[in-house]
Amino acid sequence: MLSRSTACRGAQRAALARQQAARQTQRRGLAAPASGSFQYQTGEAKGVKYASRDFAGPTTTLALVAKAGTRFQPLPGLTEGLANFAFRGTERRSTLRIVRESELLGATLSAWHSRENLVLEAKFLRDDLPYFVELLGEVASSTKYQPHVYGEEVLPLIHAAHKRFLASVSDMATNSAHSLAFHRGLGYPTASASPTPYTKYLDAQAIEYYSKIAFAKPNFAVVANGADHGEFSKWVGEFFDNVPASALDESSAGADQTKYYGGEERIAHDGGNAMVIAFPGSSSFTGKFYKPEIAVLGSLLGGQSAIKWSPGFTKLGNAAAPGAKVTTTSAIYSDAGLLYTTITGSAQAVASTAKAAVEAIKKIAAGEISSEEISKAKATAKFKELEHGQDTRAGLELTGNGLVHNTQAYQIDEVAKAIDGVSEQALKSAAKQLLEGNATVSAVGDLFVLPFAADLGLKV
Amino acid sequence: MSAPSLAPYILKRPWLQRWMQPLANWYCNASGYRQLGLRADDLLPEENDLVQTALKRLRPQAAYDRVFRLRRALQLSMSHQLLPKEEWTKPEEDTPYLQTLIEEIETEMAEREDLESLVVSKRQRNAKSGH
Repeated sequence: MLSRSTACRGAQRAALARQQAARQTQRRGLAAPASGSFQYQTGEAKGVKYASRDFAGPTTTLALVAKAGTRFQPLPGLTEGLANFAFRGTERRSTLRIVRESELLGATLSAWHSRENLVLEAKFLRDDLPYFVELLGEVASSTKYQPHVYGEEVLPLIHAAHKRFLASVSDMATNSAHSLAFHRGLGYPTASASPTPYTKYLDAQAIEYYSKIAFAKPNFAVVANGADHGEFSKWVGEFFDNVPASALDESSAGADQTKYYGGEERIAHDGGNAMVIAFPGSSSFTGKFYKPEIAVLGSLLGGQSAIKWSPGFTKLGNAAAPGAKVTTTSAIYSDAGLLYTTITGSAQAVASTAKAAVEAIKKIAAGEISSEEISKAKATAKFKELEHGQDTRAGLELTGNGLVHNTQAYQIDEVAKAIDGVSEQALKSAAKQLLEGNATVSAVGDLFVLPFAADLGLKV
Repeated sequence: MSAPSLAPYILKRPWLQRWMQPLANWYCNASGYRQLGLRADDLLPEENDLVQTALKRLRPQAAYDRVFRLRRALQLSMSHQLLPKEEWTKPEEDTPYLQTLIEEIETEMAEREDLESLVVSKRQRNAKSGH
């Protein structure tokens, strides 16, 4: 809509923002037939859940999303171990053969994990779908968890992730905030915070044991983007015969409903300064505690400008001290969420921006905010959400996650609708609720300068 | 690494195996390593990359046991003695713990060689469509 350059020029930006809301309904109507491809078609073949959408284009992204993120690991480090064992030698082919064959087909293979999911991903040309469905099936069912592979190839990667984690203050602060907010489960750090997990708990055998749980039929879903649904379902039915039908062990790790605690943690570090101020957030759209107003609040607080040469409309973008970098993230998980603001930069800048951040939330809660800003925030939140859905990587993970947890795919159109429906009142009361509950504050860096939660006026 | 051997030929033919088995048992016993507490795989020459890699892949316990057997055998050999009979390696203990690893590494190396000398040809369907 903004491509109408005449409308963009001129000084009536406020009027434009108001028009925006009115025009949005129109635009959605027009885009409706095209956005049908946003929708995932779901199905189940011999107990394996799958979803696909036929995105026109010559390439396909295929992912196996397993409910095996750090939240669900029965022992620390298992998720990382499993992610790094992906695409290593299987009963049928060696690591080298997998690499060479994929290279010849021009594909990209990757494996990563988040707090809830372990994702094995392959991107390739459309024609090669059967090969890669077979490969994922093979990786899930018959990877050889050999001790020497663990020692030579997997362990160094885990160790590197640990080192990277220790060097990054914002990673440390984010993980510290998660562990304060959720204690166990979602609170486990995504990389090893100390070498203990892989010196004490981890070995090839333990990882193999966990693979029998993570890659059991009820615990994973296969999601494809850019594949014909009929063809895809045929191949899924064919190549996932060898994965275990039920988990080896009913591990209860991470299965409980996540509870929010909150608190404060301060870690001395000389590699920079970071503060994370976090509040209970919204679960994913497929979860039970979905609150669209949190996404809008997140984009209202914001911090990073979406427009060049301007600090942007966001509260924190304007309030940030020079030298501080602020981002607000609404992290959504299957049954809980965390709305957090990350501030990095020099110690003084971080300290003053943290104070400004809390003040901004107080102002929103008190209702000192114009409806123009709210509609801007809604538009940004909606754009981010839709863009997120178009970004295949995130879309695949969210869809797989939704399938495994609630047998419902992540339908992006409905999320956008929910955000459209957020009222000003809901936003203000959401901000008020944040301040009433316990906050989570974690400070990493120069503790002499960085403020305590009490200094910021937050309850922990 | 693996020397040419008649063993697979014989093992494939049960009647021949039945004939040869007593002879094989006699030969293993006569070669004398079991009296020093060694296993057949302890005698493999280890001064090459292949066996060195295989040795690295041994489980820690297996590697320790191997070194123990070698040192004990060296001691016995220097003092011109044999182990007491009950400590001799029993035939069922004499398992190819290293040979399997060596074969695995050999296949890996052969596979790498094969893939290095790979000739890529376009798939018929794609070649036509000019993909």
